[in-house]
Formats: sequence, C-alpha cells, structure tokens
Amino acid sequence: MEQNELIDCMKEKAGLVQAVVSSVGCMEDVLRHAVDVTLVQGGKTIAAPGLGPENLQTLEELCKAEGLMVLRPPLGPHLSEIHTALTGADWAIAETGTLVLDSNSEDLRIATMLSETHIAWIPASRIVPDAVTLSAWLVDKMKSPPGYMSFITGASRTADIERVLAIGVHGPQELHILIMEET
Amino acid sequence: MTQTAQDMKTYKSQVKAALGNRFLRKALDNFASAYKASRAKAFEGIDLDALKGQIAEGKDQALTQLERLFLEFKAGAEAASAIVHLAATAREANEIIAKIGRDNGVKTIVKSKSMTAEETHLNDHLEEAGFKVTETDLGEWIIQLRHEGPSHMVMPAIHLSRQQVGTLFSDVTKTPVDLEDIDRMVKVARKELRPAFLSADMGISGANMAIAETGTLGIISNEGNARLTTTLPRVHVALVGLEKLVPDLSAALRIIKVLPKNATGQALTSYVTWITGAVECAASPTGKKILHIVFLDNGRLELAQDPVFSEALRCIRCGACSNVCPVYGKVGGHTLGHVYIGAIGLILTYFYHGKDNARAIVRNCLNCQACKSVCPVNIDLPFLIKKVYGNILKDEGTKPAKNAVLSAVMKNRKLFHTMLRMASVLQKPLVKKDAGVLRHLPFLFGKAHDFRTLPALAEKPFRDLWLKIRPQIQNPRYRVALFGGCVVDFVSPEQALSLARLLVGHKVQMEYPLGQSCCGLPAMMMAEEQTAAEVAVQNLEALEPWSYDYILVLCASCGSHMKEGYSRLLAGKPEQAEKLRMFYKKLTDFSSFMVNVLKVNPKDFIRNRTKVAYHSPCHLCRGLNVTQEPRELLKTAGLNYAPCKDEDVCCGFGGSYSLEFPEISSEILRQKLDYVEATGADVLVTDCPGCVLQLRGGMNKRSSRIQVRHIAEIVADNLKNP
Repeated sequence: MEQNELIDCMKEKAGLVQAVVSSVGCMEDVLRHAVDVTLVQGGKTIAAPGLGPENLQTLEELCKAEGLMVLRPPLGPHLSEIHTALTGADWAIAETGTLVLDSNSEDLRIATMLSETHIAWIPASRIVPDAVTLSAWLVDKMKSPPGYMSFITGASRTADIERVLAIGVHGPQELHILIMEET
Repeated sequence: MTQTAQDMKTYKSQVKAALGNRFLRKALDNFASAYKASRAKAFEGIDLDALKGQIAEGKDQALTQLERLFLEFKAGAEAASAIVHLAATAREANEIIAKIGRDNGVKTIVKSKSMTAEETHLNDHLEEAGFKVTETDLGEWIIQLRHEGPSHMVMPAIHLSRQQVGTLFSDVTKTPVDLEDIDRMVKVARKELRPAFLSADMGISGANMAIAETGTLGIISNEGNARLTTTLPRVHVALVGLEKLVPDLSAALRIIKVLPKNATGQALTSYVTWITGAVECAASPTGKKILHIVFLDNGRLELAQDPVFSEALRCIRCGACSNVCPVYGKVGGHTLGHVYIGAIGLILTYFYHGKDNARAIVRNCLNCQACKSVCPVNIDLPFLIKKVYGNILKDEGTKPAKNAVLSAVMKNRKLFHTMLRMASVLQKPLVKKDAGVLRHLPFLFGKAHDFRTLPALAEKPFRDLWLKIRPQIQNPRYRVALFGGCVVDFVSPEQALSLARLLVGHKVQMEYPLGQSCCGLPAMMMAEEQTAAEVAVQNLEALEPWSYDYILVLCASCGSHMKEGYSRLLAGKPEQAEKLRMFYKKLTDFSSFMVNVLKVNPKDFIRNRTKVAYHSPCHLCRGLNVTQEPRELLKTAGLNYAPCKDEDVCCGFGGSYSLEFPEISSEILRQKLDYVEATGADVLVTDCPGCVLQLRGGMNKRSSRIQVRHIAEIVADNLKNP
C-alpha cells in the first residue's frame, strides 16, 4: 500500500472503533490539540510521559496560559487526577486502526490507562499495513525483556449488558489519534 | 448458582425452567442474528479456511510438545525475573496462588476475566483463604455480585436484562440507578471498581496466548481492566492453561487475527497486551513487578496425547460454538455447560469437571454441525460430544436399555425390516385415513411430544413397491443406485418414487439394492459405534459401488454420515478401504446430481412459479457442503424461490434428539416455521426426509396451509411429459 492509502485506511478503521482521528503538521499542533481537547472537556490536567524537555516546556507554557496543569512523572501520586494522557505511539497498524505503544514505562501505562482521554500522535511514516509487518520489531522487543507492549484499538469498551456497546469502562473514554503528515 | 444436573430427570426440569425464560430467549436470538452478520463482515476479504487450517495445524503441533514449550517459556520468563509454576491440578493451582498471596502480604485482589480461573473455582478458594477478590470485567463483576457462574465464555452476563443489572447496581451502591440507561450503569462500574484497582495488592489475570520463544503472555481485553490488573498492584499472577502455549509470535498473531472476529465480529479487541517478564512497578518494594505465571495441567497433558480428544485442546475460547448453537439459543449457558459452555463445554466438562457433571448435558446436542462449521480451529465438536457420551456410557458400565435394543435390531437388517413391517400393521388403529399421520401419539409418548403430528409408516415400503415398478431404460445415460435410508423406505416412499420418475425422464437407469440397511447414524447418535461400523460394512457390500456411476441419497443425514462417519468407523478395517474410496467418489446428493450431473434444463419443467421457501438441512449445507444446488434446482424447476430467515438453522429434529428433548425441539421448530410463514410461501421445500417429517408435523399441528415437501417431489411434479 502507498503511504496515503495507509493513512486513509488507518483513519477509516480507527474511526470505525470510535477513535477521533485528525491530521496535524508538527509537534506544536499536537500540544495545542491536547490543550484544546482538555479545555473543551473541562479537564484540568495533562500527563505527558515520554515528552522531550523542549516539548514539555512548550506544553507547560500553553497549559499555564489556559490554567491547566501538567502532571510531572512519577505519576504514582496522581493516579486519580489524570484527565488527558498525551503520548506518542511507536507504530500504527492500518488494517485494524491500531496503535502500538511500547509501554515498558510504568508512567506511560498509568497515563494511558487511568486518563479520561488519551491523545496519541503518530508520524505517518510509522503506519504499517498489518501486525505481521511488525513481527521482527515486536520479537526484538520481547527478546530484550522486561517488556510491556500494548496494541490499542479505539477507546475502552464493553457490550456486557444486553450486548449494547458502551464506551469507556475502565480505560480512557476517548482516544484521539493525531497523524503527523510530513509536508 | 445453578447446579449442573447430574441426572436426566433433574436436567429436564432445568431445561423446562430455562425455556420459560422469555427474556433469555429473545436476548440470545437477537444476538445470534446480529453475530452472523457482524462475523461475516469482519472476515470479509480473508481466506478464513486457510487461516483456520494454519491455526489448527499449529495448535496440533504445539500440543505434541507442550512440555518442551513449557520449559522454553519458563526459561525465557524466568530470565526476565518472572516465577513460573506448573500446577498438576486445579486445587494445586489455587493453593499456589493463595500461597503467593500470603507470602507477599496480600489482602485485596483484583481479577480480570479468566475462564481458567473459573475452571479451578479460584475465587471460592481465595475467599475461603481470607482474601478479598473483586472481579473487574463488567460481566464477571455482575455475576460475581449475583453469585452466579458465566452463561457465555465471552459475554458472561448475557442472560441478564438491563433492569436486572440496574437493580443489582442500585442495591450495591445504595443509590438509585436508571433501569434503562446502560451507559450510566457502565459508568457506575467504572466508578465503583476504580478504588479496587488503586488499592489492590495483587492482580490476577488469565492469558490468551503464552509465547514459548520469549516467555511472553498475550492478553486481549476490551474494557481495559486486564491492563489495570496487570499494572497497578505490586503482584501479578497469571493463571494459564497449558494449551495456551504457542511456539512464537507468528502463531500468536494468527490467533489474534481470528479470535475477536469469531467471538463477536470485532476486528480486534480494544487492547492486546504483551507482557514479558517483571516490568517496573513503583508499588513493589523492589521497584519491579512481582510476577508469577501459573500454568495449569488439570488433565491437559494427558488429553494432549489422546488420539481422538486432543483436538479439543485447540480451543481458543472464542465462544462461537455457543453463538450458533440452536440449543444454546433456547436454553442459555447455565443449562448448556458446567463451567465451560456450549459445544466445547459439553466436551471439556467431562475432562476437567468429571463425568457426573457431563452426564446429562452431553446428551443435549442436535448434531446440527453449526458449531463445527463456525469453529476457528476446526474442532469436530459434534463428533467429540458423541464420543464423550460413549465414554460416559462405558465408564458407567450400564447402558440405557434402548441402546441394547437398538444395537441388536440394527445389526440384523432382516429383523429390523421385519419389525418395521409389523409396526406398519400394528399402527393401523392409530392411523388417520388418507392423511398418512397418526391420529394421536402412542401412549408411551408424553404431552411434550405433541408439538408435531407423526407420520404413519407407509403401508408398503419402497423396497416392495420398487420390485413392481422398476423401469428398464434402453441405453441409459447413467446407472445409479439409490440409498434410500429408513425414512424414505418405510415412511416416505413417495420421495423415492418421485426420484424414479425424474430419472426415467432423464434416461437414467436407477436400481435399489435390497441389501441396504439403515445408514447407522442413529447408532452413532446413541454412541453405539460398534453397531454403526457393522452396518456400514453391510451397506458398502450391498451398494456395490463398483457397479454404478453414482450412488444417490435423498436423505442428507444418511449422506453426511456415510461420507464422514464411514471412513472413521472403518479406519481399522483396511479390507474396506478400496470399496470406501469408490463409494466416496460416487456418493451424491439429489440436488447436486440433478444440477451438476444431469444439468437439468428449465425447458424440461412446467413454469408454474409456485412460491416456495427452502429449509437447508444441517447435514446437506454443513455435512455435505451443498448450498447452491438445491436453490438453483428450485429455480430451474419453474418455482419461485422466496428466501427465508435462518434457512440454514436446524429445524430441531436431530433424529432421536427430538424424542429426548421434545420441548427444545419444539421451540426450535416453532421459530423455523414462524420464519417460513413470514415469507408468504405456499410450499416449504427441503431435501432431507427427517426434516420433512419434523417440518410437516409442525405445520400440520398448527393447521398451516403451507405444504412441506421433499425437493424431489416438487421437482418431479413440475416435470413435463412425465
């Protein structure tokens, strides 16, 4: 598949599982998006484990201006306070609209599991057609343990009551995917 | 909690109670319909048969080397600071886990969904040992609060209505809950369970796959509770059945490709988690997760060596065999399983939970093959169910009297046929003149059997009629032998007469070899394999496959049993192999012969456009894999085919099943007939005399104007210049 086909497929499949997919140009867009979404949802905090120092500083400035707080790692003391988790993804799988996150970091796991909204960015070049394409990378990771690898497809969901689909059980209630398309 | 019935009397009363639950039936029925559509969509563009074959083959290979895979897994996981255990029994697994709890000063435990933990009754054990255990999967939490077991392997609380759940939640939270608002109920669970996650000392999960190469656990989940369970508490225990071992990631990815799609029609679950070793964990004194992986044997290693039953260990717990089971759809999982549910449950119960729990439920199988065809790892579920039934009869040493009678009679064709002729005479006082049905049921049948009229035995069996009418064709295109089967021969000879007319019209010489007997399927259904094998040999001898171009069957059940059952039954008789090979080459169902061999032409038929609905017999569409030909034949024969909902769902006959479980049979039939009536058809056509018997009996009973006919009859009626 060509890259633009992969992007389209990723958008379509992620959309089918109620992920909110948008295209962004650069990191600044990503940070801005996280702040905007948090504000619209009435959230107060953003946890962004794994964000580099420069971006983290930008995010903190943006948050400060809007009265939001960036939760600094370790996140252990903030388990019940995380509104938005902002993380990168290592890969995306177009076939199923899935994000792949190396979740070895406990802070990253906490943020992506206990937040209300998870926002993840992914460079368009990191979208692959299917899981099998990632086999070598995954096996490599598994061979250098310990490791906690996550495939994330849409928001947390259940159909346990009368088979009615309900979104947001124990994990994030919303998943936003920001595809960074190189221009 | 429903206790699994250990005798038929108790079981039948449970069945009756389950049939009285209208919500359950409606919920399961809606699910069955929705499931089929979403599953088909999820597999679009995927070569499912190839994928199934690959997974089954991979599983079979893994099963021959479970011990090696276990050691490989253990080495990998322990190198990554996990501690790996092997528990010989359920009790041992529970004790190991309780000890891990005690050794680590654990008080509270959160659990994500695990059928293996249900198998060992882990919660009961841990609670008795003083731990507080909270199930965190929504469905599992609901049934835990209700002190019930799951009624489905993937959707444990599918038997409950939103009102029941809402009432439960308002009791638990002491706050009113809107009884219609499912979204709100889900949020109640989110809120109530969050503190349990945050404060738990230990998390217990299952695993869907254990990758030997790297010592990695693969866990799928939708709600996100498995991730929290394996992340927040300082101790993580995974309880894993040994059969979950796969050699490598590729094998695991293949399973993931199929499992969610086949389970619920979902492309992929929200989360797939791969855990290799002890990851960082601030709550642990060492800063590293305390990770224990407990593999459960509980009979699996022995089962893996079993030449027949080992394939049951291929199961990946998708639950699809329940989704498509017509019996499950009527009685639900608490009545069709012990811990494991549905077709695979009827089998595994015997091995994991003993014959007492399997004794009654194992008999509740129609042999409709729906489970077998949906199984993603090609387990021959109906066959194994009968095998388990046979084992239980053997274990108990006392067979039902009817087994002994059936075997004695069936092995001796002349005796069998003499008895049928005598019955035909004796039934006379009961027969309703000109209707060909019994006026009332013989006294030994109870009221439950009164959901259909029963046909009378024919005054003269086909074999007697045949001797008088046998047509002689000059220069025939083909020479074919008909295998009639008991119902055609002794109850519905008109179906064979119709065939004879059609064949004359198409210049085919037909023969009816008189040494043929019952196909043997009824013996198989009663787990009388020895008898079935003897009858198979008699039939092969009688049918002289070398003498004919084709051997035709009008009965899909006979055909399907002969095609699949004979090679199994005669596997130990190499002297039959050549005959069998020839027989298979020539065995053909009626519609396939008409369409593919005779290539019948619309101009040979009157075009009267009678509106017909079609019932696709289980043993034709799944047993013999024939789906297009009958529908095509109806159109060719000038009929107006009106598609009907669930054409390929069983009519509820199942031979002796309908006598054993008349209430379920009747309920399945009722739904079938409702769907047929909704088409507005004038005639219901099918191609199995057993189905005709059931469907016609049901239509008669409801005084419907819809006629029920074998496809050979209606096609013959439309033949020009007969």
